Amino acid sequence: MATAHVPAARPHVPQVHRGVEPLHAGEGTSFIWRKLHSLTGIVPIGAFLIEHIISNWEAVQGPVAYGKQVYFLNHLPLVRALEWVFIFIPLLYHGLYGIWIWLRGKANVVYYPWAGNWLYVAQRYTGLLAVVYIAYHVATQRFMGVDLPNHPAAAFWKVQRELANPWILAFYVVAMIAICFHFAYGVWLFAAKWGITPGERSRWRFGWVCGVAGFILMGMGLASIWAFVSARYANAPENPSLGFQGSESRDQRTALALKPNGLTVRIGNPSQVADAHAGL
Amino acid sequence: MANRTVQFEIKRQASPDGPAVWERFELEWRPGMNVISAMMEIAANPVTADGRPTTPITYDSNCLEEICGSCAMRINGKARMACSSLVDNLEQPIRLEPLSKFPLVRDLQVDRSVLFKNLMRVKAWVPVDGTYDLGSGPRVYPQQQEVNYPLSNCISCTCCMEVCPQFNEQTGFVGAATIAQVRLFNNHPTGKVLKEDRLRALAGDGGIQECGYAQNCVKACPKQIPLTNAIADVGRDVIGQKVKDWLRG
Amino acid sequence: MATPRIIVVGGGLAGLAAVIKIAEAGGSVDLFSIVPVKRSHSVCAQGGINAAKNLKGEGDTTWQHFDDTIYGGDFLANQTPVKAMCEAAPAIIDLLDRMGVPFNRTPEGLLDFRRFGGTLYNRTAFAGATTGQQLLYALDEQVRRYEAEGKVKKYEGWEFLSAIIDSKGVARGITALDLRSMELRAFAADAIILATGGIGAIFGKSTNSVVCTGSAQSAVFQQGVYYANGEFIQVHPTSIPGEDKLRLMSESARGEGGRVWVPRKAGDNRPAKQIPESERFYFLEEWYPKYGNLVPRDVATRAIHKVVYELGLGLDGQAMVYLDLTHIDRETLDRKLGGILEIYEKFVGVDPHVEPMKIFPGMHYTMGGLWVDFDQMTSVPGIFAAGECEYQYHGANRLGANSLVSCIFGGFHAGPNAMQYAKSLPAVEGDGGAAAELARQAEINKKLMNNEGSENPFRLWRELGQTMTEHATVIRQNKGLEKADAKIVELLDRFKRVNLSDKSQWANTSFAFARQLKNMLELSRTITQGAILRDESRGAHYKPDYPERNDEKFLKTTKASFTGTCEGPRFEYEDVDTQYITPRARRYDAAK
Repeated sequence: MATAHVPAARPHVPQVHRGVEPLHAGEGTSFIWRKLHSLTGIVPIGAFLIEHIISNWEAVQGPVAYGKQVYFLNHLPLVRALEWVFIFIPLLYHGLYGIWIWLRGKANVVYYPWAGNWLYVAQRYTGLLAVVYIAYHVATQRFMGVDLPNHPAAAFWKVQRELANPWILAFYVVAMIAICFHFAYGVWLFAAKWGITPGERSRWRFGWVCGVAGFILMGMGLASIWAFVSARYANAPENPSLGFQGSESRDQRTALALKPNGLTVRIGNPSQVADAHAGL
Repeated sequence: MANRTVQFEIKRQASPDGPAVWERFELEWRPGMNVISAMMEIAANPVTADGRPTTPITYDSNCLEEICGSCAMRINGKARMACSSLVDNLEQPIRLEPLSKFPLVRDLQVDRSVLFKNLMRVKAWVPVDGTYDLGSGPRVYPQQQEVNYPLSNCISCTCCMEVCPQFNEQTGFVGAATIAQVRLFNNHPTGKVLKEDRLRALAGDGGIQECGYAQNCVKACPKQIPLTNAIADVGRDVIGQKVKDWLRG
Repeated sequence: MATPRIIVVGGGLAGLAAVIKIAEAGGSVDLFSIVPVKRSHSVCAQGGINAAKNLKGEGDTTWQHFDDTIYGGDFLANQTPVKAMCEAAPAIIDLLDRMGVPFNRTPEGLLDFRRFGGTLYNRTAFAGATTGQQLLYALDEQVRRYEAEGKVKKYEGWEFLSAIIDSKGVARGITALDLRSMELRAFAADAIILATGGIGAIFGKSTNSVVCTGSAQSAVFQQGVYYANGEFIQVHPTSIPGEDKLRLMSESARGEGGRVWVPRKAGDNRPAKQIPESERFYFLEEWYPKYGNLVPRDVATRAIHKVVYELGLGLDGQAMVYLDLTHIDRETLDRKLGGILEIYEKFVGVDPHVEPMKIFPGMHYTMGGLWVDFDQMTSVPGIFAAGECEYQYHGANRLGANSLVSCIFGGFHAGPNAMQYAKSLPAVEGDGGAAAELARQAEINKKLMNNEGSENPFRLWRELGQTMTEHATVIRQNKGLEKADAKIVELLDRFKRVNLSDKSQWANTSFAFARQLKNMLELSRTITQGAILRDESRGAHYKPDYPERNDEKFLKTTKASFTGTCEGPRFEYEDVDTQYITPRARRYDAAK
């Protein structure tokens, strides 16, 4: 187009950097992955969180009630498959993709200390904490130590022993608060971004709903933690009788067959075992 | 008020790859002074506070009435329009920096053309048949006009993009302004004909899904455009479109 | 022949309108604009756009619109193009409506219209208080569509420097400067359309945008294009004086009961509220008891000028008077004037509910401009012009809400005419003069960049603005105009010693500004000298020494041509086309 140029007598013409790329209209798959992340946060993870907190609430009723709940959950049909498909894999995905999201955002709450921006940052840090906590929690409570699916009765005892360490207790408390926040705000975000609450007022009202629900969940969760550490159920037995046929684990049944009134102590120090017996 | 002065600290950078330096200026205070008039003053007398000769500041500006969208910059850390930033309302020294999310040209001037490219990618227009006389336009009821008019007030200043934690080179996020324009054109009786195209475009990489709903956009918008509402509405429509496409696919 | 290649300079309403017509007709367009086109000055228009759609049952006709426009312009406009514009206006509104402009609506979903100055009909379509912005966006979107289709290439951030004119005197392209890389380049074209807006910057502070320097008009003027009616400058009575510019304050403030006053005593520095009623000078009410604060614009503007410059009663010794709304209750103000009061508060930092606004007339619009024929072509073949940069539609004074329609109509007219011209254009010989023009521009650039001296271009500009505003706006005396012209000559001389504090070859705004300033200085003499020569009062041009209109001598278009001598432009006069409406006395104190 240009018909003539001034001969460039200039050694170096600066170039403007590229900057943020324009929209890749209709290209790529990030939409589906991001929406899947969003959705998994609600179902199944959010649903599982509610279930978990309700189940934990049984701890307030004591070791036996808690054990029964664990027993019940572990006897759902196809429970191992459900566990992987609806809990572990979604959790893994939501957590890892969430970290990816966190890494790509550039928080600027220092310059713009506005409520929504604080919540944005909080959602990322609570998510990160949740990932660390849940990894630890699943590892220690599900895959290490007493195998609870096989020993549901030992659930209370196992958690109580874990929370005996004040650092771990603090970790649990903080994580409980963080996760309940993350979930409650996540639901609010879901409603906003999926266009369920497209108005200022509807978001404001739904904010209250999510806030109150989050606090209720958090209260229940913290109460459950309290149940494990309070004096009321101090020194819970490792293997209380859940009081119905078949509630024992396979090992227990074997043990019972061998020693009619004996209980097999697998871990723990002798004094605890003694206490456990005394408690019975 | 005779000797009252105003202190400025301005981030200077002679070229995209040059070093950034801060220069201090001390100017005579004048009533009604805004950031633009201060920079005009510096142009007429380009000397720093310590008496060193310097060059006039390079910055974008045009209408100076907060309607052309040119003069967005960071003033005391926050993205806003320089023309409507009155010196008397700002803490001194007033620190001027270029927008941080856009490639720097020089001093306070940045390249914001990405917004115009984005508007092209989402087909932000009403596809009229032609400019010859085809009679009156479609009927639009006042209620509908009242929804569209605020969206149509967007001045392309890019403040909403600058303040968005998600708008950056990693995400390639399209930003709130473009999403609001999609809302506007999808709501127009004729503009609607491209609705599906626009929604599919916004589901691409860097699309609406990258929004983190920090809501900074709506706070920073100098025109009070209901950006978060637009994101919610368009977000729903994009999901609907994707589901529809999937079921029909 | 191949697809005609048209260059459009300027991306405001007129430029974009032309681009759309050319792209639609299959032409190929290069669009040059200093700012991204969406940031052009057209965004500043507030009130609306006129078209006699007659949707209010008033019997409005395009003839009435035509008559109002000619009458408002004091019969100086050629009637044929104005008539065509008024007849085309209703279809333009329909088109804009189809393009999605969010015009205000009636409950039935039809376009709403309001009344504006200079007419008795509700003829003005509007989109809130940002009609210009909405119109510009609609055209910008259509151009973006053509850009996506590859029919338009935008050069945003490029400044037009000159036309390339071949040995036969025919335009063959332009030279332009990339404001970032400072690269100078020549671009070939079969026709050029200039749509470069107003010249507000010549007056220092005006209601115009920063880019409205008139530099492009001046450049082609200096290359031989006629400049017409330069002396006609519209000054709006109520603008908000700012440190950086003048912002418009709508007439509706006075419509709702706003009162204009100054302290009776010069130098009375007390805050407004402490000045008792008896010591306030409500000069409009005293001088014009019948109309009071609602006298016509030109009368109000002249009165304010008199108070400030002749009586020396400006506030704090500055060029300002009060526009007082504080006696009206807050609820009424917010309901009727909310938007504009908000703007005042935002920019001035003072709440006009509590303290009177400080206002002053502000240079607002350039009625004159590049001379064009009825096909929008200037006196140099191949150079067309449309919009505020040409002179054709407003005569001696523009009616409110006529500017937007004239810009779009002009662009819609210029585009197809340029296409038609380009199709029958003989092929260019050689490079059409591109290399020579490029060398000339490179020489100017080199000289400017390396110039030695002590003059700062921004300070020269301030002096130009001050002298032009003082002598060549509202009230014109030949003595003052001569002083202003002499000042321009002085500034032109001092410009030779201009020294750029910035010698860089990257985004050098001082350099670009200095080039604009030179052009402003050259063009401003068409205003001062054109005004000196026009010994009458007509429309916005008012000389107390010649208070009457003189049709016999001056019902003529002023045509200035560049001489390059220190005497300034050469002037000639052309008869006005008055074939439809016979000139009659213009008075607004009674029904016409």
